[in-house]
Amino acid sequence: MSAIAELSMTDLAGAIARGEVTALAAAEACIARIDAKDKALNAFIRLDRAEALEAARAADRKRASGGALGPLHGVPMAHKDMYYREGRVSTCGSKIRRDFVPKVTATVLERLDAAGAIDLGTLNMAEFAQNPTGHNAHFGDAHNPWNPPYCTGGSSSGSGVAVASRMVYAALGSDTGGSIRLPATICGVTGIKGTQTRVSRAGVMPLSFSMDNVGPLTRTARDAARFMAVIAGQDPKDPTSAPEPVPDYEAALTGDIRGLRIAVPQEWFFDGADDVVVTAFEAALDVLKARGAVVERISAPSLGPVCTAVAVVSRVEGATIHANWMRERAGDYAVHLSARLFGGYALPANYYLEALSLRGPLLRRFCAEALGGYDIVATPTLRTRVPTLAETDVDADPANWQRFMAVSANTRPFNYLGLPTISLPCGFDDRGLPIGLQLAGRPFAEGRVLQVADAYQRETDWHARVPG
Amino acid sequence: MTTEDTSAMEAAIDRWNGIAAPNQAARAGLADHLALITAFEALRGMLGFEDEPASFEAALRAEQEKA
Repeated sequence: MSAIAELSMTDLAGAIARGEVTALAAAEACIARIDAKDKALNAFIRLDRAEALEAARAADRKRASGGALGPLHGVPMAHKDMYYREGRVSTCGSKIRRDFVPKVTATVLERLDAAGAIDLGTLNMAEFAQNPTGHNAHFGDAHNPWNPPYCTGGSSSGSGVAVASRMVYAALGSDTGGSIRLPATICGVTGIKGTQTRVSRAGVMPLSFSMDNVGPLTRTARDAARFMAVIAGQDPKDPTSAPEPVPDYEAALTGDIRGLRIAVPQEWFFDGADDVVVTAFEAALDVLKARGAVVERISAPSLGPVCTAVAVVSRVEGATIHANWMRERAGDYAVHLSARLFGGYALPANYYLEALSLRGPLLRRFCAEALGGYDIVATPTLRTRVPTLAETDVDADPANWQRFMAVSANTRPFNYLGLPTISLPCGFDDRGLPIGLQLAGRPFAEGRVLQVADAYQRETDWHARVPG
Repeated sequence: MTTEDTSAMEAAIDRWNGIAAPNQAARAGLADHLALITAFEALRGMLGFEDEPASFEAALRAEQEKA
């Protein structure tokens, strides 16, 4: 692997800005990695090789001419294939939209373009972003770069694989029940979802309009801070986007977490957890304590209702937007997806409204229980070891349903609560697969979450390890 | 959880949505949904008379970090 491909996103952006590395060299380094790795890993749905190289040359000409450079100038990326770009196919990982050509461009792509990022193409994903494992019956499963028979996590499977394998420096994922944080933890990279409403969803394939989130998978917390600063903020095209100002997230990365208080809820997140995961999680807490954070175990009984209500909302909203295709083209969905959607039609309307109406009160309760005297909530991202693709394949055997659904158990609550949440690598299990640390903060406290993640990464090198 | 329960749900989905069970996995998944309904029934009494979905956005603003 070339030295250029090993740089972090922010280090590469700095090197390009200083003229130490060209955008063309960076794009060529990424394409070399894709050529070497992707046949086995299947991260890409479409590689726009020629267009990307030309965009990189244009970026180099702009720098040479002395033009103002954006914060991501010349950085190669690729994104989950559900971010619309006018005139380019966006498959959403599906047979149904295999030839779908959107008429709009997603606001987040426009913001990345304006920041100077180079778009290499589109990445594999779970069909319609609807599974936590990354299985895809139409474009083939992506494979875990650390151990290919194991799942990648989903639904942003290609994003996790491409960033971990150093095919790209960063990638957009989306997160409705953990779809950024799960591939981040399972592939060994950093992934953040912001506060609900923090990032525009205009021009993005919907799944559950109450809980969909746009965010990046990156190599470091600092990369995530830079990326979030580019994409976050109110968007007139998305009336649900929040007007809260976007702070300088990188300025929050001081490394100083002395006195910061971290809560570890004892409910839910450790039910049936594997010892190797708990051990790595506790070691991560020790790292944070050594840097001066205070860690305490707390009780958060509101998690029970949260974990029930989140399932009601996501199943009804997911089922509703797919109703027409479920009537007319059910056979064009993978078995596990049509099966998952089907039950959503059996939930009464008043249950759905009740689950939505409880969201505010339960957020207040959870904040009082877990964040009243604390700055951060910490949990394992995935409470078990990484499962194989085979043992979570519902299409092959419906008996795998429970194992399949359990993958997102620790991530889903934070989508219902709407809290900013990050996952970062904190170890490896006995089969050489990554383990993730999940950190959540108060609403709009993305900077605090990133600050703690960055402090942890200053003390550890899990995030710097690259699969062979 | 009985076959009768899931059959009734399957019939209700067809009646109200015009959607038939697409495969055996969908029928198996209904048992999971019955468990969810049971869990949700246990939450009865939590909802306040004035609670509504917009209370979530209000809570997001109210629960921000204080400077």
